[in-house]
Amino acid sequence: MKKTYVLIGNYGSGKTEISLNLALESRKKGSTVLVDLDIINPYFRSTERKDMLDEHDIQLFSPIFAMTTVEVPSLPPDIYSVFIDNHDTVIFDVGGDPAGAIALGQYKHHFDTLEDLEVLYVVNAIRPFTKEVDMVLDMMEKIKACSRLNITGFVNNSNISYETTKEEIMRGYELMKGLYEKTGIETRMTTGIEEQLNEFMKDAEAMNLDKKFIGETMPIKRYMHRDWETFSEYGI
Amino acid sequence: MAKEFMKGCEAIAEAAIQAGCHYFFGYPITPQTEVPEYMAAKLPKIGGCFLQAESEVAAINMVYGAAGAGARVMTSSSSPGVSLKLEGISYLAGAELPAVIVNMMRGGPGLGSIQASQGDYFQTTKGGGHGDYHVIALAPSTVQEAIDLMQDAFDLADMYRTPTMLLADGTIGQMMEPVEFKPREKRTDLPAKDWATTGWGPNSNRPRAVVNSLYIETEELQEMNDRLQARYRMIEEKETRVELYNVEDAEVILCAYGTVARICKSAVALAAKQGVKVGLVRPITIWPFPKKAVHDTIAQDSVKTVITIEISAGQMVEDVRLAVNGEKEVQFFGKPGSYCPTAEEICEKIMEMRRA
Repeated sequence: MKKTYVLIGNYGSGKTEISLNLALESRKKGSTVLVDLDIINPYFRSTERKDMLDEHDIQLFSPIFAMTTVEVPSLPPDIYSVFIDNHDTVIFDVGGDPAGAIALGQYKHHFDTLEDLEVLYVVNAIRPFTKEVDMVLDMMEKIKACSRLNITGFVNNSNISYETTKEEIMRGYELMKGLYEKTGIETRMTTGIEEQLNEFMKDAEAMNLDKKFIGETMPIKRYMHRDWETFSEYGI
Repeated sequence: MAKEFMKGCEAIAEAAIQAGCHYFFGYPITPQTEVPEYMAAKLPKIGGCFLQAESEVAAINMVYGAAGAGARVMTSSSSPGVSLKLEGISYLAGAELPAVIVNMMRGGPGLGSIQASQGDYFQTTKGGGHGDYHVIALAPSTVQEAIDLMQDAFDLADMYRTPTMLLADGTIGQMMEPVEFKPREKRTDLPAKDWATTGWGPNSNRPRAVVNSLYIETEELQEMNDRLQARYRMIEEKETRVELYNVEDAEVILCAYGTVARICKSAVALAAKQGVKVGLVRPITIWPFPKKAVHDTIAQDSVKTVITIEISAGQMVEDVRLAVNGEKEVQFFGKPGSYCPTAEEICEKIMEMRRA
């Protein structure tokens, strides 16, 4: 059965990175489509990695003017096909904040027909506007209203880029716990660079942490880096 | 203090707030809109004022008003928006008002593109607006440096009663990096703002404060200009900043600022692998331009080749040539618009342009 993921959240929470990783992971199991629905920010979008997606035979839909540096939030009509066609996995990489989630609203009736829909709210506990439960919820309610979708799970994508340690993931875990207490929504996925993610999981097992706030683990490879990110002194 | 993971624009806004800036007047334009967004979210919560003006022209004049009242105030924009603000910036300079302006440069001329660019070097350092004035212009090359310079910018503006600019290319505004807000000691040597229009009554123990940039009498205007020029010389003497990277005994010297300087550092490493010793001079203040450091670095006997690299048709290269004063040839590599070179390309260019 077709599985559809919708990734929403605050801008800069890591939706695009997770979408790309999830697409590559899903492709191992079957046909996969990635919809770049970001009408908010022309930078750092999944369409920038079209070549890589092509290589893996992952179909990509993009806003009409993506990668032209023209700021027109115009979506191609062929996006509707993903609701009808037979794919194993469809992933919607949505723009950040309520303004980004607006792009989803028009597809509500189509989302309603889907049997296996996972609407994932991505949170990075280290980002300025998502450090605390109330801050996350405030933004989440607005995004939810614009998207016209119910959130089915959280993704703990707490990281500080290349300086991430298991501590950041743990901070995310605590936030996930707090979010569950307020919303009853469980965590579907915890993501991170493999090494730190494994370290976190070792601790999680030792400390007997609740799976409800961890979900599946998905090791992340970074695809959205700048091509010249090789220099050492300043880290990046 | 724990590090945070922030986008350049957010980091700049937070740095300003922490530097005591509670007033922001601006107008959205890519790639700096996250600055006003952040201010809109944060300032009302701390008793500050965020106002989206009806235009860039209005915004800079609101900045003039707040600065005249003695507040720490800022605006931010990107190239076409800064063009609109230039008249106001000239007025700020003429009225000797401290304020901070952020320019997150995008490609030009005209509406140009929304990608990163360094096409506003002339605009920033050669006046921009009318009259004999300068702004102190700080050019960060990392998000962390943008934070540190942003906080310095307010102090510099207050110290010298001058508009101060943070000039970054769009990449700095849009990229996310781990950053730290280090606790800073408040400077105690800043002059009191006894000229500010804070309200006057018969019992006030001072004359009326008048903020104005109109000096209708020749002598008066001359006096004001002399005062400004004396101040600019002092700024040149005291506030010039530069980073010298790997320059000792270098055969090739690169001159670059902002993001490009960062890419150049990667190129320095690549060239070293090919056995060529390359160094980098990175102006951190582009006005005042670090003339002496640029000259002395390039004047070293070991230096055979000098290349200035910019995302422009060649603007800073003119200041490098002035600093070198014909002693050595200064070559240029760069493209106007929004073209950003890779480290590999720069390395190739170094090999191509190298003088035997």
